[in-house]
Amino acid sequence: MTRTWLRWLPAVTVPAVIAAGVLTGSLPASAGDPLPAKSPEQVLQLIAQHRETSFSGTLEQTSKLGLPELPQAGPGASSGEAGWLELLTGPHTARVYRDGTDNARVQVMDRLAERDVVRHGNELWFYNSKDNTAAHAVLPAGAGSHHPSGQEALPAPDTLAEELLAKLDQSSDVTVAADVQVAGRSAYQLMLTPKSSSTLLASVAILVDGQSGMPLGVELKARGQSDPAFRIAFTKLSLEAPDAAVFQFSPPPGATVKELPVPDHKSSGTQDRPATKDSRHNVSGTGWESVVELPAGAWAKTPAEQPGGQSGGPGNAASLLAQATVPVSGGRLLSTALVNVLILDDGRIFAGSVPLDRLQAAAAAR
Amino acid sequence: MQGKPSVRTGPDRGPEARQERGAEARQDRVRAPVLRLLGSELGVLFRRRRTWAMLLALAAIPVLIALAVRLSSTVPPGRGPAFLDRISQNGLFVGVTAMLVAVPLFLPLTIGVVAGDTLAGEAGLGTLRYLLAAPAGRGRLLLVKYGGAVVFAAAAPLTVAVVGAGIGAALFPVGPVTLLSGDTIGAADALGRLLLIAAYLAVSLVGLSAIGLFMSSLTDVPVGAMAATVVFAVAAQIADALPQLEWLHPWLFSHRWLDFADLLRQPIAWDSFAANALLQGGYVAVFGALAYARFATKDVLS
Repeated sequence: MTRTWLRWLPAVTVPAVIAAGVLTGSLPASAGDPLPAKSPEQVLQLIAQHRETSFSGTLEQTSKLGLPELPQAGPGASSGEAGWLELLTGPHTARVYRDGTDNARVQVMDRLAERDVVRHGNELWFYNSKDNTAAHAVLPAGAGSHHPSGQEALPAPDTLAEELLAKLDQSSDVTVAADVQVAGRSAYQLMLTPKSSSTLLASVAILVDGQSGMPLGVELKARGQSDPAFRIAFTKLSLEAPDAAVFQFSPPPGATVKELPVPDHKSSGTQDRPATKDSRHNVSGTGWESVVELPAGAWAKTPAEQPGGQSGGPGNAASLLAQATVPVSGGRLLSTALVNVLILDDGRIFAGSVPLDRLQAAAAAR
Repeated sequence: MQGKPSVRTGPDRGPEARQERGAEARQDRVRAPVLRLLGSELGVLFRRRRTWAMLLALAAIPVLIALAVRLSSTVPPGRGPAFLDRISQNGLFVGVTAMLVAVPLFLPLTIGVVAGDTLAGEAGLGTLRYLLAAPAGRGRLLLVKYGGAVVFAAAAPLTVAVVGAGIGAALFPVGPVTLLSGDTIGAADALGRLLLIAAYLAVSLVGLSAIGLFMSSLTDVPVGAMAATVVFAVAAQIADALPQLEWLHPWLFSHRWLDFADLLRQPIAWDSFAANALLQGGYVAVFGALAYARFATKDVLS
């Protein structure tokens, strides 16, 4: 009798040991050496003065926006605009490499496929393994040196932090919450909590590496949802310069290569943008309660502006929209955990991180 | 499949052979007969016609794919299984595509047959008690039986990979291989990656083999254990496809089967290999312990 009992013992203990291991592993690991306490201003300073430009790591993104998850593979998967929309829904893992200001590579690791963006000097490459297509662009000379000079022109870190904090203070409470472990490193958690109670957003947490001051992740929480509505953070990070071979890219043989035209910043950018901005959207409300209004026709124009016009592209987006929205009085509502978008029957669009009645009130006010 | 006289009269099959093995082991007393027992077990396994038939069926997958691609017009990218459109440019992709096709059903099917047969097959033939007459002990016999199943789990994907590379090289040009990241590597490197994928799949099937071993210890009817194991594999994959069961997904032994594609990235993403090994190790520990408990306390009547 006892012998029988003994022989079943491993069958009981092994699952128990595994369960115990999983439980201890999933507990929020308290930092081994706690970070010195810092005020929100000091944490902002820490971010502003960080100079980590060489690193490699793995980013993981999860979102619970309440949007239908788009298929990543199979017949429903599309390579057009829905392909990039898909990045907002469902989980993703990407490897990120960066060395200095003008070498960078991002690898979005899909199942049995990969999307790559490689920047090496002024060369910019996009690659999608699903349909073996590549796109190439040459950045205008001086684009690489744009950032360092811009950084020098910025005010000193402490004044910058002060100004930023003063601006944030108008709409949110800024606090530093308990330290967290991100990618095996102790990190400060800078919390922004909206003062307004009529926004869908409950809090924004920015995870800041305690040593280097590098932002390690962002977490957006929605009201009435315990899991973050959107979270992107490093799960692995090394601050050493990655192997230079990572940034070498030439399109593989057999790939379809498309040259992308690069808009000239000086001529078109400055003239067009302010004009379109004024005529095309309107913001009412302040802070987190802002409601953006797009006039009629903005939606209809957007798909047509898309270059290439892949077959099924716009139609696909329209049918996706029809699936994702629900009819409400006066139009259709695209509701997510963080943002509500009201599409009126007359074509106007109201969007904001506010409940539906606010959007309807904003629509009625005009 | 099991009761056919031709199988039973095969070399080293049947009660007499088992008795011999038992006697041999008895001469060694307790001194490390595990390796010798394993050798004899592998001899039995790989001399069976059924094992060869299953390996041949697996080898037919890459041959079929290669012939189909060779005889048809070019495959447009994005259609059919992943990598299919790459075959006509590079023959080595036959191996990858064939493994991708074999992962959901064919490989689990063969593993189910071999692992489900381990104990129940002997019990069904009435040879189990002769094996237990040796002083090897039930724990050791279980280990040897499981070892045989694991060796087959390694041989099965390797067959697909090697035959795939061979037929691909015969029918298509072989050259630098484009990885998922868009980088290209030489053919020799690519062959290394192909073998790595086979190793990944071997590790992936180790957990299922442990489940099969446990199923096999539950019954004296080998077909029942085989079917139960295959059903397990299919059910796990169905559960893996249901978004409502998302909390369960990381715990399913089939969850990381298709992550072998991470070996086709540049640089290789080893995380999934390690995570998969850990997951399968957990299954081996749990179902190994269950199989031991069941087998050690079982009344062996046949």
